[in-house]
Amino acid sequence: MHSKPSGSANRYAIAIHGGAGAVPRAMLSEQREQRYRAGLEAALDGGFALLERGGSSLDAVSAAVRILEDDPSFNAGHGAALTRDGAAELDAAIMDGRQLRAGAVASVRHVRNPIELARRVMEKSRHVLLVGAGAEEFALEENFALVPNRYFRTVERQEQLECEQRGQRVSDLVPSSQGTVGAVALDGDGNLAAATSTGGMTNKRPGRVGDSPIIGAGTYAKNGVCAVSATGHGEYFIRAVAAHHVCAAVEYRGLDLQQAVHEMLHEILAALGGDGGLIAVGRDGQIVMDFSTEGMFRGARDSGGRREIAIY
Amino acid sequence: MSRPKLLALLCLAMAVASALAVEPRPLAIAIHGGAGVIDPAKMTPQRAASYRAGLAAALDAGYAILERGGSSLDAVTAAVRTMEDDPQFNAGRGAVLNHEGDAELDAALMDGHGPRAGAVAGVRHVRNPVELARLVMERSPHVLLVAEGAEEFALEQGMVLVPRGYFRTEARVRELDEARQTEALQLKAAAPGATGTVGAVALDRAGHLAAATSTGGLTNKHRGRVGDSPIVGAGTYADDASCAVSGTGQGEFFIRQVVAYDVCALLQYRHLTLAQAVREVIHEKLRASGGEGGVIAVDRSGNIAMDFNSVGMFRGARDSRGRRDIAMYRDAQ
Repeated sequence: MHSKPSGSANRYAIAIHGGAGAVPRAMLSEQREQRYRAGLEAALDGGFALLERGGSSLDAVSAAVRILEDDPSFNAGHGAALTRDGAAELDAAIMDGRQLRAGAVASVRHVRNPIELARRVMEKSRHVLLVGAGAEEFALEENFALVPNRYFRTVERQEQLECEQRGQRVSDLVPSSQGTVGAVALDGDGNLAAATSTGGMTNKRPGRVGDSPIIGAGTYAKNGVCAVSATGHGEYFIRAVAAHHVCAAVEYRGLDLQQAVHEMLHEILAALGGDGGLIAVGRDGQIVMDFSTEGMFRGARDSGGRREIAIY
Repeated sequence: MSRPKLLALLCLAMAVASALAVEPRPLAIAIHGGAGVIDPAKMTPQRAASYRAGLAAALDAGYAILERGGSSLDAVTAAVRTMEDDPQFNAGRGAVLNHEGDAELDAALMDGHGPRAGAVAGVRHVRNPVELARLVMERSPHVLLVAEGAEEFALEQGMVLVPRGYFRTEARVRELDEARQTEALQLKAAAPGATGTVGAVALDRAGHLAAATSTGGLTNKHRGRVGDSPIVGAGTYADDASCAVSGTGQGEFFIRQVVAYDVCALLQYRHLTLAQAVREVIHEKLRASGGEGGVIAVDRSGNIAMDFNSVGMFRGARDSRGRRDIAMYRDAQ
C-alpha cells in the first residue's frame, strides 16, 4: 500500500504501528486525531533519532515501543485494554534479526514497560518466553520496580470495558481491541529488529494470549530477509504464523516484501476470516505498511528523507 | 454412443472404482517421547523395554483410532494422552519439576483442516493438558491460554483439577535435587527422559493432518518459562496443504527458528521432500544455531520423517502399508 519502490535502498529505516481496526473517520474528533498523530510522531522520531546516531535497530524498536507503551492513547502499557476482570494483562516480544535472538513475556500485570522485560528475557535469561507470575519473578530478580495494576488502567479503558460488558459494540475510537503497538527497523549495519507490545482485546478472558508475544506470529526478524510486526485479530495471526510466513515468502519464493505482506493479509488471513495489519521492513530498507481493516495508526521514516504518519 | 463404446466405458468405470477400492487412502501416525542426551550407557535393558512398551501403547492407541476411520485429531490426542498418563515421559504425570518443585505443563494441538489450533501453557493442576488445549480450540475463540486463566477456563468447561502432588514422581524429585545442586538448567539429562517432551502427528482417511505436543519443559526451569511445545509454528504445526510436525529439544531454539512451520514451508515452497525438509531444518538450521533436538513429521501422502541431531529420540511410527517400529537411538535400536 505505501511502499517505496524497491531499488531505492535506504541505509536505515523505521516503521511503527499503533494498532489497526475500525476507526470511523467521522467519530475521530480533530483533537483526538491530533493526539494520536502526536503520539505516533514521538515514537517514530524517538526510534529514528537512535538510528541516525548510528544506534542499533534493536535500540530503535525498543525506544519506539516504550514511548507508545507510556502513551495512554495506545493499547499497550499505560492505557492498555482491560480483561473481563477489569485488570490489565500485558504481552510483548522483541526479536533481533542478527542471530535470531528473541525475548517475550505474556500475561504480566505489574511491569511498567513489558517491552523492556521482553528484552531482558532475551539478554539475561536462557529463555525466550516467560509468562504470568514467573515472568514477574524474573522482573524482580532483574531489579525491575513493579507497579500496581491500577497504573495501567485509564478512565477511557474502564468505560470501554463497561460498554463491551453491556453488550454494546466498542468503537475503536480509542484504538482498543486491536490497538497493539509495534515497530520494525533496519540500522546502518544492516541489522533488522522487530518489537510488539499489547494489552490484548478489551474484555478478554484472563490468561488469553494473542499473537504479539508469539515469535513467528506477531513478531519476527531475520537479517537479510525482513522484520515484521503485526496487529489485529491475534488468533488468526497465530494460526497463519503470519510474521514468519511473510519472511518465508520473501526468502523461499523470492516474493517482493510488498507482495508477501499483501498475500498474508488479503489472501491467507482474509480466507481464514481474520483482519488486521502488518508493518515490515526489508533488508534494503523498503518499508511496507498494509492492513485489511478500516484504518491502521502508523508511521514510517527512512534515511532517504521519507517521514509520514497516517491513519486511513 | 454405440453399444460397444458404452460397454467399454462401463468396464473402464468399474476398473477405476475397484482400483480405488483396493487402494484406500494411506493412514499414518508417528509419535515421540522426547529427544536429548539419553546416555545409552545408562539405559538398562529393563528400562529400554519399559520405554518401548510406553511408546508402543501410545502408538497403537492412536493408530487404532485411524484404522476405524477416526480423525487424525482424535488419534494424536489419544497418543499424547497415553504418554501424559505414563510417568516415565516428561508430560502430565511424571513431568519434570521447575525450580520451585512444581510441574508446570504446556501443550498444543493443531488440526490441519481449517487450520485451527489450541494451546495452554504454565498450567499446574490439569491432568491432561492436551485435552485442555483441545477444549481451547473447540470451545473458545482463542488459541493460547496461560496459567491461572487457563485453569479457570478448565473449570468452566467442567474439568476436574488435580493437586500438584499428582504430577510429582520420586524420580523427578531426585532429578530436581541433582539439578539444583549443580544449578544446571539444561538439557544434559541426569536420567533418561528428562527432556522427554511427547508428541504425535497423524494423517487420517479423510486426508486430514493433525499434530499434538505436551511437556513439562526443563528440569529446574524458571517459573513461568514456556518452551516451544505450546507455540504454534515452533513446536507444533499442521496444515492439510503441507504437513504436520511435532518437535522436541531445546525449546528456545525451536521458537527462534519457528521450526515446525519452517519444515512445512520448505516442503510447500521449496518443494523439498518431507525427509529433506526435516533434514535441512534439524541438521543444518537448528544445528548451526546451536540447538539440539528432533522432530517427527507426516505429509499428506502419508510419508513419515523422524529425525534428530541429539544422541537419541524416543519414537515410533505406524502406517497402513504395514510399517510399525519403535526406536530410541540412531541405529534404530
